[in-house]
Amino acid sequence: MASHRIEESALSDFGHIPYAVPHMIHPPTTTFTNQEGSAFDFGELEEAIVLQAVNETKQPLYTGRPAATLEMFPSWPMRFHHTIRGSSKSGEESTDSGSAVHTLSSRGEGSRLEPESPVGRKTDSSSDHRVIDQMHHFQLPQQIDMASGSDSPRTGMSQAQPVAKTTSEKRRGAGSNSERMLDAKTLRRLAQNREAAKKSRIRKKAYVQQLESSRIRLSQLEQDLQRARSQGFFVGGGGGAGGNISSGAAIFDMEYARWLDDDHRHMSEIRTALHAHLLDGDLRVILDGYIAHYDEIFRLKGEAAKSDVFHLITGMWTTPAERCFLWMGGFRPSELIKMLTAQLDPLTEQQLMGIYSLQRSTEQAEEALSQGLEQLQQSLTDTLASGSVNDSMHQMAVALGKLTNLEGFVRQADNLRQQTLHQLHRVLTVRQAARCFLVIGEYYGRLRALSSLWASRPRETLIGDDISCQTTTDLQMVQSSQNHFSNF
Amino acid sequence: MHYQAESYGNYYASTVRQSAAVDPLERVVRLASGSAVVIFSLSTCCMCHAVKRLFCGMGVNPTVYELDLDPRGKEIERALMRLLGGGSSVPVVFIGGKLVGAMDRVMASHINGTLVPLLKEAGALWL
Repeated sequence: MASHRIEESALSDFGHIPYAVPHMIHPPTTTFTNQEGSAFDFGELEEAIVLQAVNETKQPLYTGRPAATLEMFPSWPMRFHHTIRGSSKSGEESTDSGSAVHTLSSRGEGSRLEPESPVGRKTDSSSDHRVIDQMHHFQLPQQIDMASGSDSPRTGMSQAQPVAKTTSEKRRGAGSNSERMLDAKTLRRLAQNREAAKKSRIRKKAYVQQLESSRIRLSQLEQDLQRARSQGFFVGGGGGAGGNISSGAAIFDMEYARWLDDDHRHMSEIRTALHAHLLDGDLRVILDGYIAHYDEIFRLKGEAAKSDVFHLITGMWTTPAERCFLWMGGFRPSELIKMLTAQLDPLTEQQLMGIYSLQRSTEQAEEALSQGLEQLQQSLTDTLASGSVNDSMHQMAVALGKLTNLEGFVRQADNLRQQTLHQLHRVLTVRQAARCFLVIGEYYGRLRALSSLWASRPRETLIGDDISCQTTTDLQMVQSSQNHFSNF
Repeated sequence: MHYQAESYGNYYASTVRQSAAVDPLERVVRLASGSAVVIFSLSTCCMCHAVKRLFCGMGVNPTVYELDLDPRGKEIERALMRLLGGGSSVPVVFIGGKLVGAMDRVMASHINGTLVPLLKEAGALWL
């Protein structure tokens, strides 16, 4: 990553600087991810900064490579109130700390740092404040990125503002009685930071190890799947790597992932076709291809329902947010129509009628299927609840027979979804239909993204947090980011 | 919705020899032409329950034949399976004496808007 490369080069420039910082920087490992919070020895760095403030001399570092200094401390916490405003702007622009710097310098010049802007303003001991300000600008974009909690409350965004005032005062205090004595409070704080940094390192290590083992497990699973496919779906107890997913389900998940990639491709094609204002005839061809693409997923789901209906009906193939809206193993067609009517604005009278009657008929069909499923559930409950001990085998056989009807319901629900999409295609003009399918695709893309974001949202963690708790969160995030599932 | 499980008895007295020799498919056709909307069903089948609810939800009053309650229901089931080309025998829907099909065809025709006109034409649905 850019930030790491810059850090490495910064290291090499530090030979002539008379403080203890360089040897404390850990060179970044290949498995490091931004998401694990500060990789740097926070404690030592702060110590160095304090020492620097104590020295109060203009360092050649600033005139030469202020940028390098800044890049060295990318995880410096947000401290100053006024920097938050500015960095929220830069935060929007990118998540790379390298380019955050260039927004910071408020020029558009690539990712090279401008020596002039920070340096020009530095004339006195308040220069170190500037340095810290600019480090904060780094901190914000990274914080947005970061999946895990911070290693200390001081790096937590939520605590940036209240902390900012007090630490800025402390800093000025340290600067003014620079003459030196690092007071007890500061010393304690530095010690705490060192502790936090150590904990952060440990957590990072555990997380990385878990990632590596998951990677190995994943490749094993994929190999098993390949083998299973070539052998004609021989079920070997759920896969060699101890996965608790049936082979039919795993195969469907893989096919669905491929379908999602195809979907993305189709959508880009439609988007460019719309922007290029293609002739209706050409657009129709593209759209027909997209409808066939949807038909494909319904066909795949039909196959999957034969081998593992529970995987479909419980929504395990989808992302959590989509699972929330799950109806009979997929999306609810009437909800889709409702969502679309707001987006599809200029419609003729006839089209509006068509859409409303489609909504009504999907609602009626959904209601009928739901009631049928309810009756199945009731019947199953009765079977399992009744029956004597002697009769249990027979009872189970009856229950199993009833369960086979589940496949029929999932099939009918998918049939309903498929018919709804076809009817939409019929009611709308070619251009409207193209826009409509784009809206559908984007909507579900966002829902899937929501699931990923939710899983990776920053949580409040205390210093004494459990390592396993932290890494579980991170692992969930990894899994869900690979899990762009669930659409139909 | 009215069930016609025992109504074959009405024909029995007058057409004993005829009904004994009647081909099940012919029976199906005859029964189907007897009402505007005819559903062949099994009392234990949940999908049949769903299709019944669909019609009732639309305000239609279908005639339902529960084949498991009919002494010759098995023959009719087999005939229906042959008619539909395999799969399950029920539910099967006839409207205005014409075959609509199993659940998937019924749903598809409802979604694409052809079911309601068919029902109106058969006199099963008024606006």
